[in-house]
Amino acid sequence: MANSNLPRRIIKETQRLLSEPAPGISASPSEDNMRYFNVMILGPTQSPYEGGVFKLELFLPEEYPMAAPKVRFLTKIYHPNIDKLGRICLDILKDKWSPALQIRTVLLSIQALLSAPNPDDPLSENIAKHWKTNEAEAVETAKEWTRLYASGA
Amino acid sequence: MDENDLNSDDEIAIDDDCYYDFFIKGDDPMDSEDAKSREGSGQKYTILNQADIRKRQEDVIAAISTVLSVSGATATILLRHFNWSVGKVHEAWFADEDVVRKRVGLLNYEKQLSDVNAGDRATCGICFDVYPRYRIFSVGCGHPFCRECWGGYISSAINDGPGCLTLRCPDVSCSAAADRDIIDMLALSDDDKKKYSQYLLRSYVEESKQIKWCPGPDCEYAVEFDAGGGGDDSWDVSCRCSYSFCWNCLEDSHRPVDCQTVSSWLSKNTDESETKIWILARTKPCPRCQKSIEKNGGCMHMTCNPPCRYEFCWICLGDWYNHETCNRYNEAADVEADKNREDAEKHVTKYTHYFDRWAANHSSRQKAIAEMQRVQSVQIRKLIETQGKAEYELLFITDAWEQIIGCRQVLKWTYAYGYYLPENEHTKRRLFEFLQGEAETGLERLHECAELELNQFLVDYGSPLEGFKEFEVKLKGLTMVTRKYFEKLVRALENGLSEVQVSGTEEIGQNFPMASAEG
Repeated sequence: MANSNLPRRIIKETQRLLSEPAPGISASPSEDNMRYFNVMILGPTQSPYEGGVFKLELFLPEEYPMAAPKVRFLTKIYHPNIDKLGRICLDILKDKWSPALQIRTVLLSIQALLSAPNPDDPLSENIAKHWKTNEAEAVETAKEWTRLYASGA
Repeated sequence: MDENDLNSDDEIAIDDDCYYDFFIKGDDPMDSEDAKSREGSGQKYTILNQADIRKRQEDVIAAISTVLSVSGATATILLRHFNWSVGKVHEAWFADEDVVRKRVGLLNYEKQLSDVNAGDRATCGICFDVYPRYRIFSVGCGHPFCRECWGGYISSAINDGPGCLTLRCPDVSCSAAADRDIIDMLALSDDDKKKYSQYLLRSYVEESKQIKWCPGPDCEYAVEFDAGGGGDDSWDVSCRCSYSFCWNCLEDSHRPVDCQTVSSWLSKNTDESETKIWILARTKPCPRCQKSIEKNGGCMHMTCNPPCRYEFCWICLGDWYNHETCNRYNEAADVEADKNREDAEKHVTKYTHYFDRWAANHSSRQKAIAEMQRVQSVQIRKLIETQGKAEYELLFITDAWEQIIGCRQVLKWTYAYGYYLPENEHTKRRLFEFLQGEAETGLERLHECAELELNQFLVDYGSPLEGFKEFEVKLKGLTMVTRKYFEKLVRALENGLSEVQVSGTEEIGQNFPMASAEG
């Protein structure tokens, strides 16, 4: 692995992610770039995403931990705070980032976002509108997408 | 600028020194480094440079720090939170200190560092490295971070903007404030410290109610208006950078017109004028639905857009199916059909009239400002050579230019005033137009004299030209006369042309004998 200058913080975080993974979350660094993580999040129970396995990518920029990691869904997902490119609207990834947060806390927050979509602060206007006007139908679409794209096959 | 020269003007009773502020600017030499409140001249504002601002800021910080027995850094946090108002800090603090502390993140206890390992070592919450105690810092909340991580954290906050003034402990769940002492101690570079201190200074100006930055280009001065200033009186401010503006609305100085009129006028200029003129020049309203229609085909048979679909003749605007020819002149129909359009056109014509003159005076003033700089830097030198005068003997020329610049500004805004002056107030309009006309004629004569007649004296004939003395007398005379006209105009407009209301038309006849002749 050609990552000689990797800060100790990243090494420690990585070790802990691998040795004590958070429930329903796995994150492992890429072999050729220790700042790039392949992430999987299981759809939380009692949510429209239950039963789905969602793939994400997470990248630690040069300034990390002074700057937030960059995270994106790779699996298609029907969610008001996630757009079709997989970008996530989450405060701690933007202005609420603090260097005392970690990869683990970020991924836990994303998992929580799947349990509690917030259509009032949307990234995807259409989905948010759907959510607000007919939540039951929107939830059905989310379940359908989970079956179609996140069945883990 | 010589103040005595103004005071000798005894024919017109000037009610206070506002006129002085208005017409004569740049009277405060750049060398007065201290903020000098010019109360002597009745001025209600103070120009502040960076050092003045900082001094005021440090003064209020010291005052809070003394009364509340807190550190200067704590006082800074409190003041910033309460928009730099000493009164508000006192009020809130003495009402409920705990609530205030909680809101701004001031702890009233000091917690030991958490996570201190054996042997007085602690793990930094950012880099996860273990350090000896002396290299670990917290803002009193006990969350341990190492010096380097604090430095990086502070630096990225400062580079993100003025939000760094409310910096908190890096721990997400902790709201303890990181004050300016922490910044001073732990910032990575002097550059960071400097930026932080600049944000603090800006916060003092931008969040306090009495001080505003001069909106002049590249100007670094701020202007403090004394409490109770403005109101019915003028908000006009002349900054040391030579920019003059209205402190209240931050637009150009617009005396004698009020801020509301200026704002309506400026928004009218940007929103409406161009589109409206374009629409009226090229379109006609559909006779049925009144939507504007632009003719894009050759024949006169027009069909309005759905849902209207009305078909009509472009020439006479008559219904197409009852239409045979419209070549025969029909006065009645013509009058009827064009009435609306005429009204709208009249409106635009009126607006264009005022706008053209407003804009012309604006650009004339800009040119006069440039010209005055040329006069000061080049022409005065030349005159000293060619006419053998001393510099102080030539001050009347710059006086004249300053007068021109000030008057162009007033004249410009009186055109916005005129636009909004109701048309049915005939007497007021007549008085207004009389005063404006009088002032404008005076100004044109002065401007022409200053611009053209000066040139002949710039040529070096080896000896002074004879007519210079006459030129001097003439220019001084015109300067004075123009000033009087404008003072009269300003005063009348600021009184809402009330002379008319009180005394009626006869009075006007007496005061302004030409009014009826002109009207």
